[in-house]
Parts: sequence; structure tokens; C-alpha cells
Amino acid sequence: MEAIQESEYWKWPETVWVDESKNWKEAEVISCGIDLGSVSSQAVIMLDGELYAYSNLRTGSSSAASSEKALGSILEKIGDMKREDIHYIVGTGYGRVSIPFANKTITEIACHGRGANYIYGPSVRTVLDMGGQDLKAIKVDERGKVVNFLMNDKCAAGTGRGIEVVADLLSIPVTEVGPMSLEVYPDDEPEPVSTTCIVFGKSEILGLMRKGWPTNRILAAFFRAVATRVVELLERVGVEPEFAITGGISKNPGVVTRVQDMLGMKALETEYDPQIAGAIGAALFAKALYEKQTGKR
Amino acid sequence: MGKKVEEVPQLKQFREWFDKRHEYAKEWKRENGGKIVGYYCTYCPEEILYAAGVLPVRILGSHEPESITRPYLHDMYCPFCHDTLAQGLQGRYDYLDGVTLAQSCLHMRQSYFSFVDRVPNIQWSYYMHFPHGVNNPHATPYLRWELEKFKSAVEEWTGVTITNKELDKAIEIYNKNRQLMKKVFELRRGEKPPITGLHAMEMVVSSQVVDKKDHNEILESFLEDLKDVEVDRETGTRLILIGSEDDDRSFLELVEYGINYPATFVYEECCTGARYFWDEVRPNEDRLMALAERYVKRIPCPAKDWAAGELIRRRFQHIEKVIKDYNVQGAIIAQMKFCDPHELDIPSLRVLFDKNNVKHLTLELDITQPIGQFRTRVEAFLEALGEEDLFF
Repeated sequence: MEAIQESEYWKWPETVWVDESKNWKEAEVISCGIDLGSVSSQAVIMLDGELYAYSNLRTGSSSAASSEKALGSILEKIGDMKREDIHYIVGTGYGRVSIPFANKTITEIACHGRGANYIYGPSVRTVLDMGGQDLKAIKVDERGKVVNFLMNDKCAAGTGRGIEVVADLLSIPVTEVGPMSLEVYPDDEPEPVSTTCIVFGKSEILGLMRKGWPTNRILAAFFRAVATRVVELLERVGVEPEFAITGGISKNPGVVTRVQDMLGMKALETEYDPQIAGAIGAALFAKALYEKQTGKR
Repeated sequence: MGKKVEEVPQLKQFREWFDKRHEYAKEWKRENGGKIVGYYCTYCPEEILYAAGVLPVRILGSHEPESITRPYLHDMYCPFCHDTLAQGLQGRYDYLDGVTLAQSCLHMRQSYFSFVDRVPNIQWSYYMHFPHGVNNPHATPYLRWELEKFKSAVEEWTGVTITNKELDKAIEIYNKNRQLMKKVFELRRGEKPPITGLHAMEMVVSSQVVDKKDHNEILESFLEDLKDVEVDRETGTRLILIGSEDDDRSFLELVEYGINYPATFVYEECCTGARYFWDEVRPNEDRLMALAERYVKRIPCPAKDWAAGELIRRRFQHIEKVIKDYNVQGAIIAQMKFCDPHELDIPSLRVLFDKNNVKHLTLELDITQPIGQFRTRVEAFLEALGEEDLFF
């Protein structure tokens, strides 16, 4: 009997990147930020406040092991850098308290605010962090300091985990679900599925599948629901331009396009990977903390 | 050198009473042979029961997940009314002789009626009408009449005639309890509050479940001992807690002891805090009128703080005063899930806090709390209040 092949449609590509043009040995401050999320983990190394290397991996069942892996994979790619060479490490994200080697922890809300300021520039006032298990609408000042924020409650609908579940259900790779949903957008956009709960949403999607809806329309109904939830949260905190999106879902055009259109506002664009904003913010805080500790500031 | 606050024996006593409230009540009954009445909400005129030799104890929850209340209460009724009823259905209030409710809200009322109906040891119950618009001038005479009926019902049930002398004694004991707790709260106005919100909650809630005479005795020595306490914790951000039944230790522990940044509650504007004891009964030849005045004019629960036309809502004025008196820097609004009166106040509260330059965070409480999520929110809230030196 042939073994059943397990298809992992929810899997998204992992990345480890190093800026080969920089020499870390010339840096005065080597700071690191680790954003240990519920679904993905990022580690960032900055040299004097400039991005040098990062990793973006899936979080495993052990937070400590995932943080080791996130940083370890960068160090491995750099080759000659050891963990001891890093002056200061700040942990952030859902699993921040479980990073054994972090010097300090700071919330992902503060880190995404600071990271968005770095990635998108000081004009950012509203940051939407769409992550694996929660959504955060963050208002920041010109330094990237949090002024106000709102988080969704205990529910995975409209988050990365929810999108992975739907990708798996429909047997479409998670990187393709967003673009596919746009095939019917905006002219043939259906009503959204339930926005209350991903389990209810999933049941509704099963119903649509049985009705024979084409996949792109089902996905459109799903992403419409996701976008509705996101916009509700943003409107509660109040959207002030410029507007920027960070976190894994910012790479999903199915969500981003709908959110932008519903808000009537374009999100800023960047050449950086917006999923590492939290880790960048953490690394920038690590630099500030190291300088404070050593009396340089 | 003074002692550390954790070593103060009275705090241990409050905690023990808080934890072992049922054991205390059973012991009280064995010793005194009197009746015990459980009451819902802090609008119950406890003095009348006390004057008849009855021990009033507040019915509280246990913060353990449960599902046995579903046949009696809607899912969208607040977690507290579910939790309290669950305690009765599980037999934890098997020592109660009676139960009473001074009308507060529909959720508590449904919980009360199910408690009366389904907890087998309940022999006596009294549902007291209580005016909703406490800012209305007619509320006090209305309540006085209700208190008269309540008193007669208690007399009929217990066979005890409640004399003015007994009422005076009860009022005196209750007022003393209020004065002493107020004095403890006032110590928190200083730069280094000797106790935390967790301690304050255990002090106030223990007063709701034990004989006030016992509580007063401990409170008196507590006030003395607090003078020698060496405050070894960093106060950090001075917080006010705005809420309702905020007796969940895990939540208070998280905010004051479990996060990255120092923070201390300096005042709790809730019915497990100041709202319960802040106002005293003022002497009046007509004792029931004195009681009616006190219960109508106390800092109101949002369920009762309505004001149409020229009338003014009183809770907000009180909060504004506390912000100044206690040098409050941040507010945590602990919203009991599905509690509409509290939730409806939040937009106006936000305006009040903004006006007074107090940052605020709203958290939704359930029977158990999502501690991980709350940690992120509270820490981010405190980061937004401080941590200026991380920005350049």
C-alpha cells in the first residue's frame, strides 16, 4: 500500500539572509532582536543600528528551541560570529519570556512600532501588525514610540493561523491564497464568511465547497471577512496617515488590498521584509539598552 | 528597621479569610449559632441583617471554569453571575440559611433567582427593590420604604425584633469598618504606598465575608503595624483600577508582581474596592432613613449611576477627585465581559481620563483570565507611559 503523502499547504517559505557587503567586526554595537511569535520566529542582527542579517522561521513546539534556531541559523550563515559577540539581545513576541539568552524582553507592540519606524520612516503614525495569532493596531509618534494600541481578543479568525487553516482546507499553498482571492475582486466579491471565529468560518467554507463555489470565490469570501475584522480594529484605534502594515499577513495581497480599499488609504511600501519589523524594533531597543548600560548615551 | 509588608500578620489574616471564607462562616455558625445570609451585590443593607444577629456574607465566585450554570443563565450573562451561581450549585454555600439581592442588574437577578430555586439549603430569600436612578431625589424616600419592608421580613424570619439600639450598634460597627479601611486607603496617597492593590483587594473582600467585629479588630492593629512597614518595592506607575467584581488574584498579581515594569494600584474604584466602603451612614433619628441615604448616596455602581436632565452622575466626579488625590498616572479599566452598564461608561471614562492626562487600558475579564495576552497589553501600556530613554 502506498504511504499517504502529507501535504503541507499552510507552509510558507523560511528565509535566512545576511548582508555580505558588511563586516560585522568593524561595528561598535552589535545588537540582536528576536521576535518569537506564535507561528513564526524572526531573529535580526544589526550593526550600529543598521540591518545586517535576519532569519524568518516557523516556530516549533518549544519556544526556547525556536529562539535558538532563529539566531543559530543566522550565526551559521555568517560563519565566524558567535553568540557571545553580540552585545545585547532583546526578546519580543508571544514567547519572549521563554528566550533563555535574551538580556531583556520588550513587548511586540513597542517593537513593531519602533521597527515600522525604521522600515517605513518617521512619517508612520498607524501600524497594523497582522501576526500568527493576533492583530494589533498601533498608533506611534515620529520616533516610533507607542501612543496607543488595540489588540484583538482571544480568537484566531483574521490572523495568520486562520489563513493557514483555510489554505490547508482548500489544498492551496498559503502563498497563493491571497492572489487567487483577487481573481474575483472587486467586481465579483461575495459576502464575507463569519468573522467571529475561525472554526465557524471553516464550517462555512466547507458549506461553500459543497455548494460548488469556485475556490477563488471562497477565498474572496474568507479574505473579505479577515479584512472586515482588521478594519474594525483599526477604526476603533483611529487610522491616522501614514499607515503601514507589518507581520506575516502583510505579504498577503488578498488581505492588504481589501484593507486598503476599505480604509480608502494606501499602506506604505518597503524593500524590507515587513515580517521582521518586530525583531528590528527589538534589535534597535537592544542597541539603546547596550549604550545606556555602557554609558555611551 | 521596619518589617516588610508581606510579613505583616494582618495581611496574612485577610488572605486567610479570603481563601477560607466558607470555613470561616461554618466556624462562625458553630460558635454563634446564628443564621448566615448570602447577599448579591453591595447594595444589600447589611446593617439590618447584622442588627438581627444574622451574619451577611457576600456571594463570590471561585474563578474556576464551570459549565453547570448553562441551564439557568444565558451565555451572554456576565461571568461573575455564572461563577457565583456555580458556587451555590456545587454546594460550596451549603451553610447559608438565606440569600438576598438588592436589585442591581438583570444578570445578578437571574443568578439570584436560580440560587434561591436550586440551592437546597436556602430557607429564606428576599428580593429587594432598589432604585435604579440613585441621582434622582425620590430615590432615598423610596429606598427607605423598601428598607422598612426588608426589616419586617428579616424580623419575621428570625423572630428577632430589630430595635433602634441594635441598629445603632450595627451601624457603628459597619461605620468603623468603613473608616478604618478608608484610613488604610489614604496611606496609599503617599509616594510609597505601603500596600498593593492585591493587598487592598484581600482586605476589602475579606471584610465582605467575615463578621465586621473581627475585621475591625484586625484592621485597627493593621493600621498601627503599617506605620512601621518598610516599603521595599518600587511603586512604579501609579494605577487606578476601574471595574466591578475584581477579586481575581491572578489578574492583580500579574499587573503588580508579574510584569517587566514596576506598577502599583493605588486605588480600586470597584465593588471589591473603595465603592464598597467609601461612604458612611450619617446619624439620623430615623435609622432607616440614615441607611437609605447611605446606600443611595454612596459612590454608585454604573448600573445605577444614571442622570437625565439637570442631574449629575456621581461616580465620574469621584474618579476625577481620586486621580488628583492619589496622583494617578494610569488607569486600567477591567471590564467584566457582557456587563453592559460598565461597558457603556467606558467611552465617557476615556474622555475623563484623557482630560486629566491619565493613560488608560481596557481589559475584558472573564471567569479565568488570558494571562499571556494581558501581560503583553499591560507591559505595552506601561512602555507607552515610560521608557523614554529607549528612543533617540
